[in-house]
Amino acid sequence: MKKISIDPITRLEGHGKIEIFLNDAGDVENVYFQVPELRGFEKFCEGRPVEEIPRIVTRVCGV
Amino acid sequence: MAKLKLAIYWAAGCGGCDVAILDTNEGLLKIAEIADIVLWPVATDHKYEEIEKMADGAIDICLINGGVRNSENEHMTKLLRAKSKIVVAMGACAHQGGIPGLANLFTKETVLNRAYRETPSTENPDGILPVQRFSAQEGELIIPEFYNTVLPTAAVVDVDYFMPGCPPAIHQVAAVVDIIAKGDLPPKGAVIGASDKTLCDECTRPKEDRKVKKFYRPHEIIFDNQKCFLDQGIICLGPATRGGCGNRCTVKSNMPCRGCYGPAPKVHDQGTKFLSALASVIDSNDPAEINSIVSQIADPVGTFYRFGLAASYLRRKRSNEKN
Amino acid sequence: MSFEPKIVGFLCNWCSYAGADLAGTARIKYLPNVRPVRVMCSGRVEPSFVMKCFAAGADGVLITGCHPGDCHYHEGNYKTIRRYSLLKRVLEQFGVEDDRVRLEWVSASEGDRYAKVVDEFVKKVKALGPFNGTKLLVK
Repeated sequence: MKKISIDPITRLEGHGKIEIFLNDAGDVENVYFQVPELRGFEKFCEGRPVEEIPRIVTRVCGV
Repeated sequence: MAKLKLAIYWAAGCGGCDVAILDTNEGLLKIAEIADIVLWPVATDHKYEEIEKMADGAIDICLINGGVRNSENEHMTKLLRAKSKIVVAMGACAHQGGIPGLANLFTKETVLNRAYRETPSTENPDGILPVQRFSAQEGELIIPEFYNTVLPTAAVVDVDYFMPGCPPAIHQVAAVVDIIAKGDLPPKGAVIGASDKTLCDECTRPKEDRKVKKFYRPHEIIFDNQKCFLDQGIICLGPATRGGCGNRCTVKSNMPCRGCYGPAPKVHDQGTKFLSALASVIDSNDPAEINSIVSQIADPVGTFYRFGLAASYLRRKRSNEKN
Repeated sequence: MSFEPKIVGFLCNWCSYAGADLAGTARIKYLPNVRPVRVMCSGRVEPSFVMKCFAAGADGVLITGCHPGDCHYHEGNYKTIRRYSLLKRVLEQFGVEDDRVRLEWVSASEGDRYAKVVDEFVKKVKALGPFNGTKLLVK
């Protein structure tokens, strides 16, 4: 089985990777889209004052 | 002059620094004039493979934004360091860890649990967490290892220049491109694209003698939008923050500073420097009253170290189970 | 081997350092874990010094100065109180136990008090165990 990796996926915000597996006939058998990125906003916004959240979560994506 | 080879990369960032470069508008033409871009995920389609095949030092200038959150960030940061003559840590995340550095108040396990199991919008009945290696029937899939501690670029590789800001102000990006075009770079280790004064020094809001009996949150006060925030008891990180941003928050947007330009010159730990400045304005000599005034500050570490936690002396919250 | 904490002590020049001197000349015995650093005033102790001590491997930090009202610079120690109060809140969020940092007033005539403060503090830090500040960065 042959594998084609597209790493990184470009011209979008964030990190992404696509792995394409080809079967012996050269056709696509399966494709995996992977997001190797996590920063943890879900957690670290906890404990921050509510009025500060708009100034924090704007850094989720700057694009 | 031969054209420079320029790489722009994002690690644990948000892409805002890349957009700051794009926001120079016709300034991009100048970049195209002096440099060939060999990597810039937000705008061009170069792959990691191409970088790995390059000779060491083949890239003239590399602008890295985003800190080190996982093993891919670390690998790419180290790879680009080896391939580049000059590395610039661009933006608050690369410079100081930035907003993602706030995760250093938690452990890797609690962050993963929250994101993949506990959030109300997540459906994950089997409680599956990301694994580094996964054997699919077609072959093995590998994602980067998620680290317990976010680090700024300089904690992982040797950095030549630091360019602060979240994001760096557009006029400063243009100024740095100018410096690079002229080959007029300062001594190694310098902070570029910023001033050598504090934000307070450059702020045009009139300041009076600071004496504060109460710290206010925004909903607790109707403040005078001409006067200094700190004078009115509103926390503003201006005294401990490097200037050069053009006072885009304090003057232009009527918002107190949160310190994205990093510590003032010759300061290492922005949070404690601000702590000192803030403690000095408290108008009391009575320990009990001081304690009650101080207790009005909702989130000292999250505020004083908003962008600088990962670059501070302690870098993260201490946890007994696992450091 | 039992754990012997490393403690950095910031002693103000005018009162506490003289107090520690007096403890010595009076041959008062006290625990040897505190490494004294003489500063001109407890107000000279920037909170970043405390952070740096922990990051460099200290298990505890002791700050001592003149009693309130007795400061050689009139109000240096009041500034210390304000910073200390805020620093304590910051340290709590960093997960640094309350007993690892202590502010005490020791005058030049209180050699016995200095010895007592050190003994008490060392015992508390000993009970907490090592801080492992230098190991904070393990992945």
